[in-house]
Amino acid sequence: MRYALLVEGAPYSSQASHSALRFATTLVARGHQLVSVFFYHDGVYNAARLAAPPQDEPHLYDAWRSLHAEHGTELQVCIAAALRRGLLDEREAERHGKSGHSVEPPFELTGLGQLIDLGQGVDRLVTFAP
Amino acid sequence: MILHILNRPPSSSLAYRDALAAMAGNDRLLLIEDGVMGALTSQVRHFQEIEGRLFALREDLSARGLEGQCDASVLVVDVDGFVSLTEEADKTVSWF
Amino acid sequence: MAISSPSTGDLLVILRHPPHGSSWLREGLDAALVAAAFGQSVSLLFQGDGVLALAKGQQTGPLGQKGTAATLDMLSMYDIDSLHVEETALERFGLEAKQLQLPARIADGDSISHLLAGHRLVLTF
Repeated sequence: MRYALLVEGAPYSSQASHSALRFATTLVARGHQLVSVFFYHDGVYNAARLAAPPQDEPHLYDAWRSLHAEHGTELQVCIAAALRRGLLDEREAERHGKSGHSVEPPFELTGLGQLIDLGQGVDRLVTFAP
Repeated sequence: MILHILNRPPSSSLAYRDALAAMAGNDRLLLIEDGVMGALTSQVRHFQEIEGRLFALREDLSARGLEGQCDASVLVVDVDGFVSLTEEADKTVSWF
Repeated sequence: MAISSPSTGDLLVILRHPPHGSSWLREGLDAALVAAAFGQSVSLLFQGDGVLALAKGQQTGPLGQKGTAATLDMLSMYDIDSLHVEETALERFGLEAKQLQLPARIADGDSISHLLAGHRLVLTF
C-alpha cells in the first residue's frame, strides 16, 4: 500500500516524531511504500537543519534524512507554518532578507495543497500529533 | 472500519470522550504514547463500551513500565501490529 | 437555523480546539480552505471545545492576533457549507444553535460516526 504520514509534534518536545519514525520504518519493512511525510503545526521543527541533540539520544533529523535516502520518501514542510516559526530555506531566507537559512533539502517547503493531494492520493494517511 | 488512534490518557484529557463519540459499532481504538495509561485495569472502565475493540501499543506500555498492569481485556499489539491495524482499516483518525 | 448539508464528501476536518489559545483551529481551517480551493468537497465538524469557534462576538487579541472569526466568514466563498456542530458540546457551554456565528447542523448520536464514514479523508485539529 501507499502511505503518507502527517507529523504535527515538535521533535523532543513530544513523542509524536519518535512514534512517526518508528511507524515509518516498520511499514517500509512490511513492504509498503512511504510516499511522503508532511510536517505541519509544530512538526515543522523536525526540518531544522541545525538540530544538535546529545549523542546518546536518537537523532531525529538524521533519521528523517535516512528515510528519504533509503526509501525515496519525500519530506514536505508546510511553508506557512514554517515561515512563522523561523524555518526558511535559502530561497525564502533571501526573499525575506535573512542572513541564514534553517531548512535545506531533502526537506522541502511546500503548500498545504500537497497535504490535501497526499490525502487523496495515498491509501493511508496516518497523523502523529503532540 | 476506521482505526482511531488516541495518545492521551483518560485520567487527564477528555480527548477519549470525543473519540468514543465518533466511533461506529465496528471501529477500533488504538492507545499509543500516554494514551496507553487508559489500558490499565484501574482506568479501562472508560472504554467499557468498546470492549474487544480496544488495542494498546506494547512498546509504549513497556517503556512506561506498565505492561504488567495492562487489563486482560485490552488487545496488546507491537508496532508491526499497529501497521497491520492500519492496513485492515479503511482510514485512520488521530485524537490528541 | 439547522441547514440541510450532506454527510459525505472528500474531506472532513474536525475542529476540537477553541480560538486564540493555540494555532490548531486556524491551521485546521487553513487545511479546509486549501482543500476547497483545490475543488474538493469539504465538511467541518466542530466538536468538544471546538464549538466555541462558532461563538459570536469574537475579537482580535490585544497584540493584534487575528483569531479565526474572520476566516469563518470566508467559508461560504469557498463553498464550504457543510458545517456540523456537536450537540453535547453546545450544551456543555450553554450555547444554542441560533446563537452561533454561522448556521450549522446539529450532530448527535450516530451522526458523528456517519460523518467520519462518509468522507474519504478525516483530519483532526
